[in-house]
Order: sequence, then C-alpha cells, then structure tokens
Amino acid sequence: MSIGHKDEWGTRLGVILAVAGSAVGLGNFLRFPGLAAQNGGGAFLIPYFTALLLLGIPIGWAEWTIGRYGGKKGFHSAPAIMGVVMRSGTGRYWGIIGVAIPLVVSYYYVFIEAWTFGYFLKYLAGGIGVDVAAPVSEQTATAASFFAAFTGAGADGALFTGESRLALVSWLVVFAINVYFVFRGLSKGIERFCSYAMPAMAVCALIVLARVLTLGTPDPSHPDQSVLNGLGYMWNPNYSKLGDAQTWLAAAGQIFFSLSVGFGIIINYASYLKPDDDVALSSLTASATNELFEVGFGGLITLTAAFVFLGLAGTNAAVSGGSFTLGFVALPVVFAHMGAVGNLVGALWFFMLFLAAITSSLSMYQPAVATLKEAYGWHHGKATAVVAVIGTIGAGLTLWYTRGGAYLSTVDFWAGTLLIYLLAAVQIIAFGWVFGIDRGWQELHQGASIQVPPVFRFVMKYVAPAYLLAIFAAFCVQNLGPSLRAAWADAGSRAGILSIAATLVFLFVVVRAGERRWRAAGLDLDDRQAHHGRRPTGHAHGRHVP
Amino acid sequence: MTLAGWITMALSLTFVWVLTFWCFRRVLKSPQKEKAPPGFGP
Repeated sequence: MSIGHKDEWGTRLGVILAVAGSAVGLGNFLRFPGLAAQNGGGAFLIPYFTALLLLGIPIGWAEWTIGRYGGKKGFHSAPAIMGVVMRSGTGRYWGIIGVAIPLVVSYYYVFIEAWTFGYFLKYLAGGIGVDVAAPVSEQTATAASFFAAFTGAGADGALFTGESRLALVSWLVVFAINVYFVFRGLSKGIERFCSYAMPAMAVCALIVLARVLTLGTPDPSHPDQSVLNGLGYMWNPNYSKLGDAQTWLAAAGQIFFSLSVGFGIIINYASYLKPDDDVALSSLTASATNELFEVGFGGLITLTAAFVFLGLAGTNAAVSGGSFTLGFVALPVVFAHMGAVGNLVGALWFFMLFLAAITSSLSMYQPAVATLKEAYGWHHGKATAVVAVIGTIGAGLTLWYTRGGAYLSTVDFWAGTLLIYLLAAVQIIAFGWVFGIDRGWQELHQGASIQVPPVFRFVMKYVAPAYLLAIFAAFCVQNLGPSLRAAWADAGSRAGILSIAATLVFLFVVVRAGERRWRAAGLDLDDRQAHHGRRPTGHAHGRHVP
Repeated sequence: MTLAGWITMALSLTFVWVLTFWCFRRVLKSPQKEKAPPGFGP
C-alpha cells in the first residue's frame, strides 16, 4: 500500500546503481586521495577498511532495513519511517533531519556540480587558458584565478555581474536536468539515469586511468616525477601515522560520508522495495561499488597525475589546499601539460566528476518530494514543483553569497556534516536498541540473498554505535567551537544558518500536517500492531488515503 | 614506490575489485522476484 502515488523501482540492479550513484561523488576522486596521502599513505587504508567493516557497511544494512520496513507500512518519508521504527512521535521529529539534510545540501551541491559541468564545457572549447610555457607557479596562479572568478569567490553577487556568467548558465542547465529527472519519477527518472550514468562514469574513469598510468616520465629533466613515484606518493605506507588518533578519525569520517550513510536518502530509496526484496546483498553491493570508485579509481588517478607534472612540492601544496584546489586548480595545470590530448582528458575528467555529482544530487530531492506527497497527498508533479521552488531559493542564496565560500562552508558544516553524524547515530541506535537487534536482524534477512555473518549482530548493536559516538564526540571537540564562532561572522554564514533553520521549520510544519492526515486515515503510525506481536505483512496493512 | 607500497596497493585493489565483482555476480545470479498479479495477496 502506498499513501497516494505508487512509486517503485524497476529492477534490483537499478536500485543498487541508484544508491551507489548517490554515494559516489566528488569526494571519491578528490577528498579520499588527499586524505590518504596526508594520513599515512597506504597505512591509511588500515583504519579506512576497519571503518568500512565496523561502521559503513553495518550502518548501511541498518538503513536499508529500516527503510524497507517503513515501506511495508506504506511510508516513504524519513519522518514517518523513523516514527514507525522508534514507535513514537519523537522518532518522526528525528526523521525530519533525514529530509532536511539532502534538501539543504542540494542548495550548494548543485552549484558545485555546475562547476564540473562548466569546466567540462570549457575543456571541450579548449581549456581554461593555462599557458604551459610559463613557470608552474604562474600556471597554478592562472588556474586559481580562473577558479576564483568562475565561482565568484571575490565578492557576494559576483556571479551576477557578467564575468562569471558561465557558472550561472551551468547552474541553470544542471538544475533543470535534476528537476527533469526527479519529475520523471523514481523508476523512469532517477533509476534510468543512474543505469546509464554509472557505467558511463566507470568508462570515463577507466580511460583517464589508462592515460595517467601510461604517462611514464614525461619530463626528462625531472626523472623523479614518474608514474611509479606518483603511485608511491599515494600508496607508500607510513605506519607511524597509525598511532595518531587523527588518522583514525579521518578514515572513519571519510567512510561515513563517502557511503552517504546517515544522509536520509537510503532510508527513502529502500522504502520503495517490495517486502521480500533483498536488502543485505543490495546494500553491500552499493557499498562495494562506491569503494571501487574511491579506492580503485580515486586512489590511482588524482595524485598520480598531479605528482607526475607538479612534483612533490606542487602535489603537497595541492593536497594541503583541499579537495577543490586539487580538482579545480592543480589538475587543470596537469591537463595543460598533457599536450594535444590534455583538453580531451580534461573534458573526460570533468564529465566524470559531473556524472558523479549529478547521480548524487538527483537523490537529494527525492526524500523531500516523497515527504510532501505523503504529508499532503499531492501528486508527484506538484510535489516536485514545490521542491524545485525551495531548491531554487536555497540555490539562489548559494549563488549570491559566494564570497570566500562562507555560505557553502557554513551549510556544509552544519547540515552536510554535523546533522549527518546525528542522524546516523539516531538510526543505528534506533535499529539496535529501540526496534531491537533481534527484530532488526530478522528483518535484515527477510528475502536476503546472503547470510550476514553473525558477528555483525554484535557489531550493529554495540560496536557501530560506540564507534560512531566516539568519532562524533571527537569531531565536535575539534570543530564545534570554531564553527560556532564562524556561524554568525558574516552575511554568507548568517544566510547559511537561516536557510537551514527555515528548512527545518518548513519540514516541521509539513510533518505535523502529515501526522494529522496519517492518523485520520487510521495508519499504524507508531507500529503498534507489530509491537503487540502481530507480524507486519506489508500490503496487508494497506489503507489508501483518498 | 616501495615494496610495502606495492603490497598495500595490490591488496587494497584486490579487495575492492573482488568484493565488487562477487557482489554483482551474486546480484545477477539471484533471480528477480516476480510481481504478484493485481488482487493477489497480501
């Protein structure tokens, strides 16, 4: 049963690719390699895979299970599903975070996506004007200055003054593509797009990887700048870093954000599964796909290419500058050095980043669309239109408040980082302790194509929550003070805080309206039927709201 | 690139490729459940 419009996935592979598409993003290619190089190189993979096994995969299983269980009850919005799982109105209010996170993140994420699309267009048209005959420092300055102008980093409102029109046009195109595919619906829109985009992204990655690994030693005057030394920069292990708590924190954070757990998207996507559809293998497959792109491609391409052309000092500078510097400043310099094929490789690279970004952004609107449909009984088109208007307002703030990236970084910290930790912690605790690990384990294995090793029962109840709470606490200790001080520092950050608050208030009103409607329809909002011993049978609960 | 670097890279790449290949093989091997005809069930 479903409240209102009936949505469902077309194929099992489709839902896996949609979830994997949501997870694979810019961080796989830009953030992961830089983080690894700064935290012990190959040694970083030890805490990284540990976090994958103890945190990422278990929380993923919990989210898929919770989502499908909510779907059996006829719900697709995180608030309603969390209410069912936690058997209370409190759960519904925690669930609001699961809609707010993707919606708020979409405000700025689509803008970053527009950078990749704009750079792709620039490389098709001949690059961004880096002069390979100039000294490397000058080339880097040219690329940095182009990036600053393109993103309007100089002043608020800079994108509307004329020089950076391409960024604005790119945003319009990209936003329209997003709205179109969300409007097309789950199966015909998001699933179909991801079914083509994910293989296309893999092909782009393979071509770029092949080019990078065959670069050899392009500059004979710098014999140390070779592909092998570039790989060594990323992979040579420095085991002394394993004694540093920061390394373990960074690895856990990367796994956590890379897999998109705690984002509110998986819970929504899984709710469209049928009651006996597998979740155990599907969740694992989506996680594995994400790891393939992150370790298998991101770990081989980005820093190797940078090292071959920029050398040790240049790559160190690019890595310490952060993901955006690495992707949008250092790599354009690298492409300029690749000769005749440089622009083609650059275009392929940015097209691949664009695909990675759009498969993620598409998933960010769906939870809000589902919540509006469910709360008000709207049809899909109306809900999509309202979400598009909200997205435009949020993106408008991102496009205006560009100075120093203050709006973007504020929203990214509070909604795109802090709230994600919070929601993931609530979800894994709700799964293991409120829903109950016994029911959860049974639910996880209903229709499962694999048997999850029994040790994960212990991991999901004790280890993952403790691990998550520990890194959440460490994260807060490290970042909360400075971020609180910066939150009201300038117009951009104030706009960021206010846009998050406004979104939360709006969703609160929506969920209150939904609660009234669901109660009036006699739906089992607090999972009382299952609580009193009756096994939920999905469609048997079905009650259509007129 | 040191020997330890080669080993770390080989192990990591093998892990992600084998895991992904194994997962997709299982997904493609397991039959897709058919939809129940309308009116059938719960």
